[in-house]
Amino acid sequence: MDARLRRVNKEIADCKNDKSSNINIDLIDNSAFHLRGSFPGPKDTPYEGGTFEVDIVIPESYPFQPVKMKFVTKVYHPNVSSASGAICLDILKDAWSPVLTLKSTLISLQSLLCSPEPNDPQDAEVAKHYTTSKRSFEETARYWTQVYAGGSGSRGKAPARDPQKDEVAIAGLEKAHVDQFEALGFERSKVIDVLRRLNYRGANVANISEDKVVEELLK
Amino acid sequence: MSSDYEYSDEDVDYYDDEDEDMLSPQDDDSDPSDEEMDMDTFGDDFKVPQRAARKSYEVEHESLPQAAVVKLKAADIEHISGIFGVDASTASLLLRYMNWNKERLIEKYMDNASAVSVAAGISPPPKAPASSSAAGPERSQGTSSGARSAPAPKPEPFVCPICFDDSQTAFSALSCDHRFCAGCWNAYITSKIREEGEHAIRCMAEGCSTIAPDPFIHTALGAGSATRERFNELLVRHFVSSNPNLKYCPYPSCTYTVSCPAAASKSALTTIVPTVICGADATPPHKFCFGCAIDSDHRPVICGVAKMWLKKCRDDSETANWIKSNTKECAKCQSTIEKNGGCNHMTCKKCKHEFCWVCMGPWSEHGTAWYSCNRYDEKAGVDARDAQSRSRVSLERYLHYYNRWANHEQSAKLSLELYNKTEKKMEEMQITSELTWIEVQFMKKAVDEVEKCRMTLKWTYAMAYYLEKSNEKELFEDNQRDLEQAVEELSELLESPIDADAISTLRQKVTDKAVYVSKRNEIMLEDTAKGFLEGRWTWNVSVEGFD
Repeated sequence: MDARLRRVNKEIADCKNDKSSNINIDLIDNSAFHLRGSFPGPKDTPYEGGTFEVDIVIPESYPFQPVKMKFVTKVYHPNVSSASGAICLDILKDAWSPVLTLKSTLISLQSLLCSPEPNDPQDAEVAKHYTTSKRSFEETARYWTQVYAGGSGSRGKAPARDPQKDEVAIAGLEKAHVDQFEALGFERSKVIDVLRRLNYRGANVANISEDKVVEELLK
Repeated sequence: MSSDYEYSDEDVDYYDDEDEDMLSPQDDDSDPSDEEMDMDTFGDDFKVPQRAARKSYEVEHESLPQAAVVKLKAADIEHISGIFGVDASTASLLLRYMNWNKERLIEKYMDNASAVSVAAGISPPPKAPASSSAAGPERSQGTSSGARSAPAPKPEPFVCPICFDDSQTAFSALSCDHRFCAGCWNAYITSKIREEGEHAIRCMAEGCSTIAPDPFIHTALGAGSATRERFNELLVRHFVSSNPNLKYCPYPSCTYTVSCPAAASKSALTTIVPTVICGADATPPHKFCFGCAIDSDHRPVICGVAKMWLKKCRDDSETANWIKSNTKECAKCQSTIEKNGGCNHMTCKKCKHEFCWVCMGPWSEHGTAWYSCNRYDEKAGVDARDAQSRSRVSLERYLHYYNRWANHEQSAKLSLELYNKTEKKMEEMQITSELTWIEVQFMKKAVDEVEKCRMTLKWTYAMAYYLEKSNEKELFEDNQRDLEQAVEELSELLESPIDADAISTLRQKVTDKAVYVSKRNEIMLEDTAKGFLEGRWTWNVSVEGFD
């Protein structure tokens, strides 16, 4: 049997036998080389209660070259692209070692959710949000967990009741700020886009003049 | 010296014979002095061509075939292994870690040998014995084919923590004692070398930074494998790229390396143009610049200026210049406006600002003087106009140099065509005249000369563009003009139709002109190179390396 296939099969079997880690690996279209991993969001984080799915592709030269992983579930996190789910983690690149397994890598992803690394960001806008106001960032991350990762969330609000509120919360902005500029006659979605880009949050609000925002809106 | 003498002695014998034949009546006493004289003249003759060939615009360099580079690398390794008393593979790892900088390595190693060894991945860090997070190494005691034999072998069978294949029997580990099966090592090392081009290959254990020494890699890959060859090549490449005196020939699939210590430092590149030729037997020869990435001859201009010029030509900065000289900016909203007709009363489409195209001042100041500007001296208007005319002059200046530069480049490219035409002409000549093949070679030589000089001329325009106005620049441009004139005349001669009767005069003319052109080219290159050495040139922009 192909050494790569043997190893992947063993890894999948090991994961099935291990009930304590709560990590699942499932096959997609019956190939052992394209998998779907999932794990629960870590406790005491904004991701608690959600289930996060990861797309796994086993390359030809696995385990000597790192496995390719990206989030399928949308995650609000400095080291994960909010658009594509791409992950910035050293062990998926040059710090990869052949002794690492799918399970240990998924556990590393889980712990990445616990400890964001905003100085080496994958998503610069999210990282800016994180450094500007951690509290506001966590609120948004929690909201994303509710909406996308099926988490009930500690605040326990039913998601998507009010679609407008949705958009603002997903962008991690204050409703009052959005309303303020919308009142000037700009389209709501554009206001949200510009404010998110400018990182119009927390202490940063004082640094950005209204004129600057309007100027951006006019572009 | 000694070899010179030996060599001369033989010749002295030869001259002795002659002497005896021709000068037998002479005294034997005079012989020694004659011998010495012969020796001296011979010695000079032997050396002079080499020494004289080095003009001030040429740079001393040496071409090394692959084998010679390998030898140089081995010598460095031997040197270090001799000083530190370590084996060759350890010395190689140390040198690779320090990017082959022997002096710094010796300094650091003498300072703290164990710290350097750890950092270079030779020995594991002192505190952490092999207790990896993986479960494998804990129960890892099998048959070891590695350099280090297991100290206390247990009978329990060992399963490689990577492939989980319990039928494997051959295991090996680096100095860190992380054990893996031979198959996994082979696959791992192969993938690192083949896919990543990596020569510093770390242990497979997580977080372990021990680097595999060369013999380990050779054993793991097996004799005669292509990957092993590739690995050795990677080491040589690393050696060459780390050594500022060495550079690979940039021509495709050329294996030669050129050593040019004179051009190794950045500061040297402000005074010399290190055009080198590698030892490959190719036509045309592999000529390239040791100092920059330009794979042709950019003499006489130095790398920094050549680079700036090429960048300027590539950039669309000239597009911006065009915009500047053909358009004006709205004084209020700064949008760019091209006036394509109509009167001078302009209204900006964007901000509706009304202004006068002539004086650039606001239209309201014109009062009732519609359509005729009498406010020409208003300050705002004057400033706007000044800025515009400045940029127009600078564009014209650039185009002057660029057109000539491009013209010579184009002409040099057309030389291939000229070559073919000349070849046909040479055949014609052989038929219509008494001249032999050897005798009609003057045409080809002249074509070569023209091409060479056009390259020089091309770059002199790049240089002149950046030269500050001065007497030196005037002399430079005089030389340039003389060369250009001569080249154009020769070029014309080469294109002229051949008249059977006038072949001998044509031949004379072309040969003379070619010699003259070659001299002018020499003067141009020589004088410019000397100017760099003497610091005679001043630039109108700041050039890398000059203050």
